[in-house]
Amino acid sequence: MIRLVAGLLIAAVTLALPAVLDDSALAVYILLGLAAMVTVGVSLLMGYAGQVSLGQGAFYAIGAYTAALLALNGVPPLAGLVAAPVVAALSALVIGTPLLRLRGHHLAFATLAMQLILLSLAGQLEFTGGDIGLQAIPQFSIGSFEAAGAATYAYLTWAGLALVMLVTRNVITSRPGRALRALATSETAAASSGIPVGRYKLVVFALSAAFAGLAGGIYCFYTGYVAPGSFPVLISIQYIVMAVVGGLGTIWGAVVGASAITLLLQALNTLSALPGMPTYAPSVLSYAVYALVLIVVVLFLPQGLLPAVTDRLSRKRRSTPVETR
Amino acid sequence: MLEVTGVSRSFGGVYAVRDVSLSVADGEVCGVIGPNGAGKSTLFNLITGHLAAEHGRISFLGHRVERLAAHRRARLGMSIVFQAARVFRGMTVRENVMVGLHGRTRAGFVSAALRLPRHRRDELEIAAEASRALERVGLAEWADRPADLLPIGQQRALQLARALCARPRLLLLDEPASGLRGNERERLAELIEELRAGGLTILLIEHDVAFVTRLADRVVVLDLGQVIADGTPAEVRADPLVLAAYLGQAS
Repeated sequence: MIRLVAGLLIAAVTLALPAVLDDSALAVYILLGLAAMVTVGVSLLMGYAGQVSLGQGAFYAIGAYTAALLALNGVPPLAGLVAAPVVAALSALVIGTPLLRLRGHHLAFATLAMQLILLSLAGQLEFTGGDIGLQAIPQFSIGSFEAAGAATYAYLTWAGLALVMLVTRNVITSRPGRALRALATSETAAASSGIPVGRYKLVVFALSAAFAGLAGGIYCFYTGYVAPGSFPVLISIQYIVMAVVGGLGTIWGAVVGASAITLLLQALNTLSALPGMPTYAPSVLSYAVYALVLIVVVLFLPQGLLPAVTDRLSRKRRSTPVETR
Repeated sequence: MLEVTGVSRSFGGVYAVRDVSLSVADGEVCGVIGPNGAGKSTLFNLITGHLAAEHGRISFLGHRVERLAAHRRARLGMSIVFQAARVFRGMTVRENVMVGLHGRTRAGFVSAALRLPRHRRDELEIAAEASRALERVGLAEWADRPADLLPIGQQRALQLARALCARPRLLLLDEPASGLRGNERERLAELIEELRAGGLTILLIEHDVAFVTRLADRVVVLDLGQVIADGTPAEVRADPLVLAAYLGQAS
């Protein structure tokens, strides 16, 4: 009952916000939704399947470049948007085949290196527009309906996020999801239950890449241009911070984490732009704050924001022994 | 059913298992005992596929399996209860047992994500079978608790339920009695006796000699990576080589 009311309330607020926000606030709202979409994938990969990726930004970029290149070559934007997650997932399958033999921090560094390589390729190659990137990407449209204004992109983003969350929930509460959660504890025991561990790790890597690719596709239509500079390594780290802060292994935690970090960064941006602030204020504030937030959360709320809050609430209500996800 | 022929495995030039042969017949409970460091765990891992054998053949139900991945051997009908508690964290007792049915069901990512009819059919079957298995090992009332909070004896019962869900042809138990208290050990022994009475073939690897001689039809004794005796519990107990191996360790 409480869940239903909360769900309806969240849906109502989500739908109402684009109508009342101004354009600069809408930009934050859209970027927040896109970040949440990628973070849900990170949470699925890290929190449920126990694999680390420091390169989710690469799949975000692959999605964005895919949709942009197709749209610039006259392919209908809807087809481009569908292709974005597909190409991102296929790239993850190709890249993941050698990479997922690695574990722990080896895998983390390898994915980081993958993003650096892809970014430098995008900066060198002609068809990706080099360092300048791709510009004048047409507006998103379906048939004769053309997206005009940020509000449309806000709805598109949050519809995409809802889809990603639904798919994730359906996967983790099913046979393949149980297999993923099992292999996160013990690959040996999972294999002995008949789970093809390698294949499952690859599929979940591809699925999380597809979420990032979808977000990238929406991003390129919204901003109208993509360039290597849009996808710094910091963005990949940001997704991990969001997932950890919100609470790994919870779907809503990813959204909470993405919201908390995005809003915090926005506040810091405003702060550092105040008159009288030194020129190095923005970078110092953002980097220092990432570090600080991560340290504080890991020290004091190791499970993340959302589990910490729900634990406290349910303990208050009564001592319920089990929380089903 | 299981035929191990001349299997060897070394680590850094030292043989942990050297030229070991043993066979397990249909419906038999075969025990493998040996002092610490005899190579029991290595042999176990070679049979289940978590280690690759350097030499030798392993055939299971007429298939050559020594080159098959662990999950393929599992799907042929090998189920395992591990010594170290290998319950899956962050999952309930019921979900843990449901994982055991992975090899017998098919619903993949697509049918799960889209909630296709196949997914629903599979889930119903999996849940029903998991409940039956939990009932059988006496864990039904714990079904919705987090599995990692169970005491060790019940974690082992949980693993047993998970293994049985796969409807194994051969059940492999790796030191199932270690770390258990007297009454937990008794419960486990009774459970294994029930399974034997039901005709299940069991390979029991165990440090505790009394536990094995009570349950096994036949006992294979390992020492320093080699088989030093193979026979009925009574024969093995009287074997001078076996006595030497155990007494040698004790002195």
